[in-house]
Amino acid sequence: MAQIACEYLIPDGIGLEDVKHLIRDRVRFIEDPTDEVTRRFLDSFDWRLYLDQATLEERLDAAGRRLVWRDLGADAPPRMQGIDAAPGFAWDLPTGPVRDRLEPVLGIRRLLPLLEVRSRVQSLRLLNEDDKTVVRLLLEDNRFRDADRDREGSLAARVCLLPVRGYAADLRETARMLSRDLELEPARNQVLSEALAAAGRCPGDYSSKLDYHLDGDQRADAAAKEILRGLLDTLEANIEGAKANLDSEFLHDLRVATRRTRSALTQIKGVFASELVEDYKTRFAWVQQITGPMRDLDVYLLDFDGYQARLPPSLRPCLEPLRAFLADHYDGVHKALVQALGSTEFKGLLTSWRAFLEAPVPERSAVRNAMRPTKAVADARIRSMYRRVRKAGRAITPDSPAPELHALRKHCKKLRYLLEFFSSLYPQQIGALVKMLKRLLDNLGRFQDTAVQVDHLRETAQQMQDAGGVETDTLLAMGALIGRLFDHQQQARVAFSAIFADFDSKPNRLVWRELFAPEGRRGQRA
Amino acid sequence: MKVIGVYNIKGGVGKTATAVNIAYLAAEEGNRTLVWDLDPQAAATYYFRVRPKVKGGGKALVRDKRALDTVVKGTDFENLDLLPADFSFRNLDLVLEDAKQSTKRLSRLLKPLAEDYDYIFLDCPPSISLVSENIFRAADAILVPMIPTTLSARTLDQLLAFLGEHGQLRALRVLPLFTMVDRRKRLHLDIIERLAGDYPDLLATRIPDASDVERMGIHRQPLPAYAPSSAAARAYRALWDEIKTKLLAG
Ligand SMILES: Nc1ncnc2c1ncn2[C@@H]1O[C@H](COP(=O)(O)OP(=O)(O)OP(=O)(O)O)[C@@H](O)[C@H]1O
Ligand SMILES: [Mg+2]
Repeated sequence: MAQIACEYLIPDGIGLEDVKHLIRDRVRFIEDPTDEVTRRFLDSFDWRLYLDQATLEERLDAAGRRLVWRDLGADAPPRMQGIDAAPGFAWDLPTGPVRDRLEPVLGIRRLLPLLEVRSRVQSLRLLNEDDKTVVRLLLEDNRFRDADRDREGSLAARVCLLPVRGYAADLRETARMLSRDLELEPARNQVLSEALAAAGRCPGDYSSKLDYHLDGDQRADAAAKEILRGLLDTLEANIEGAKANLDSEFLHDLRVATRRTRSALTQIKGVFASELVEDYKTRFAWVQQITGPMRDLDVYLLDFDGYQARLPPSLRPCLEPLRAFLADHYDGVHKALVQALGSTEFKGLLTSWRAFLEAPVPERSAVRNAMRPTKAVADARIRSMYRRVRKAGRAITPDSPAPELHALRKHCKKLRYLLEFFSSLYPQQIGALVKMLKRLLDNLGRFQDTAVQVDHLRETAQQMQDAGGVETDTLLAMGALIGRLFDHQQQARVAFSAIFADFDSKPNRLVWRELFAPEGRRGQRA
Repeated sequence: MKVIGVYNIKGGVGKTATAVNIAYLAAEEGNRTLVWDLDPQAAATYYFRVRPKVKGGGKALVRDKRALDTVVKGTDFENLDLLPADFSFRNLDLVLEDAKQSTKRLSRLLKPLAEDYDYIFLDCPPSISLVSENIFRAADAILVPMIPTTLSARTLDQLLAFLGEHGQLRALRVLPLFTMVDRRKRLHLDIIERLAGDYPDLLATRIPDASDVERMGIHRQPLPAYAPSSAAARAYRALWDEIKTKLLAG
């Protein structure tokens, strides 16, 4: 079936009454009473629904309050579900068709209000000879309100065409009437897109993923500043959400941006004065430190159900006092975080860092790599870090002590960040390398995170005991959990050699060599 | 998806009125609901102002020439769809007889709709036939509307005996109820009382004999749409609540 436009714009100067008269001249319909409709559009901070080509609205009208999910790509009717509280996390929603669709898309993020569209809606039901409704037409007067930015205004009035299943011919005819007889323009955008544009918002404008477009001939110090500015933007974008603790990902993204900043500072070597690098390295290490306890608790609580699932059912309830203990600490730890992120020390760091990043690079720099082309510096850094990863990886044996694996993981992370910073300078193949590196990192992460979890469990057990009285059963359950975690760690350890061998395979090594060979030597060693 | 058949061997006992009205109430609560009018007389189809026509007739549906969801019509009410009847349904028995696994056809045809609907109501023609057997196989429960007469117990016993003879049907949930009840008639009350003792699954809600229900044919709408607060509409609401509770209790 040919795609039929579902929404039409009513030109300025023509009222809904006029449109109604024009329609009345042509078809028979009955009017339902006018309804006031409020649509609060929702998405996560990182636009997960938008990226999934879907919209979600909390809709308030005469019929009540409900969520409406639309898949823009598909020709499917909207999913609806009644609610009685403001939506936030997927897991807090009652089960229903919207939650089913939403949950895998939203993940652990919270739904945040984007903006509100308020409409006066007149609904016309077009009838056939049997007085059966065969098409619905909604005439909408629309206004938007963006409470966060304190903006509001009117939007174009619309005519929406709602099909009644099984009456496709009537639908086509009505569409023809709207476009040919009434000369209405099909709306190219959803009302949400129109409202976002009117409010000056750009969908998809935040992403935690890196997306640089560097110029290989640019001076390396200027490129480094560009990379670091991007990271600072990300860091700053997440501060408010982390303070308000809207969801755990704000703090997570803030910490990742901090870690990447430190990595860029130390790994893009010899582009800034070394005192400056030392100074900021220390100060960003402090940021990592003040945000650590909250992140640890978040991870603990996010993983909690998973922890419980690892235990035999009879032991699971014994873990509840641990959850309660963590929850008790949560507010205090969060308060400390809010204080730290509001401190003059933190604000001062960001201000001076931005001032430095936004200042133009000096015309001449005596620092070793500052004035070299970005591409040459990137090639050399990636080559050297790749060599370190290979060397450290090949040295790992089944008996290697844990610190050696930890060290390898650190090298891998640095290498991954370098690839991500500079990926725009290389052909698409680099994506496959990043992927393979990620697999290796996942394995090493599994190993180390488990070690960290075990340490935390030990510490927490001690704290719980110090705080006075913890049930023996709870300690035993925690002990059993530690046992399970060790098993899990062992599995990661066993899987390591195969994953590393993949990473270090001959064809793969050739790709690395070829991609990052010094200028002039490319193609010679293939 | 729950499939609920509305069935009685006898005609004119309020099957169609029951199916149409409780489907309307289910949809009103936000459930995606479908009524399948299996009766060639097409009374349910008429109430929804839909033409009683299925391209290719029952044959096309049973022989998989035409998927059910391409035949579905939206009603005038949100969440409520109709699979219209067709005059050819009078021969549905013969068509089914020709099909493979002839007692499971309907159940198989309905399967693809499981994603689309929360409730499917089957408005059945009066008789006991291959069509009814198909309905028993497809349904999670059947409602059996009865007018309180001295024969209602006998009809119900016949039905239960039939189900008992067919192993796979023994688990089918059978929910009898009384319709067109006239409280002024001593006989009605006596019959109801007697049956309630013998059939624990008998629904407590009774649909009164009311001219509001008869007017469905004039309004061509479900009763709660044009007379939402009438006594009969309230009875249908209570009935739907009771059915949901029974179904949930399993
Ligand atoms: N509660 C009621 N009070 C009064 N009249 C009713 C009631 N329920 C149904 N009727 C009327 O009784 C007649 C038969 O009802 P209905 O069509 O619902 O029964 P049915 O069992 O589906 O019949 P059939 O076997 O012919 O399909 C109709 O005219 C209907 O309007
Ligand atoms: Mg009937």
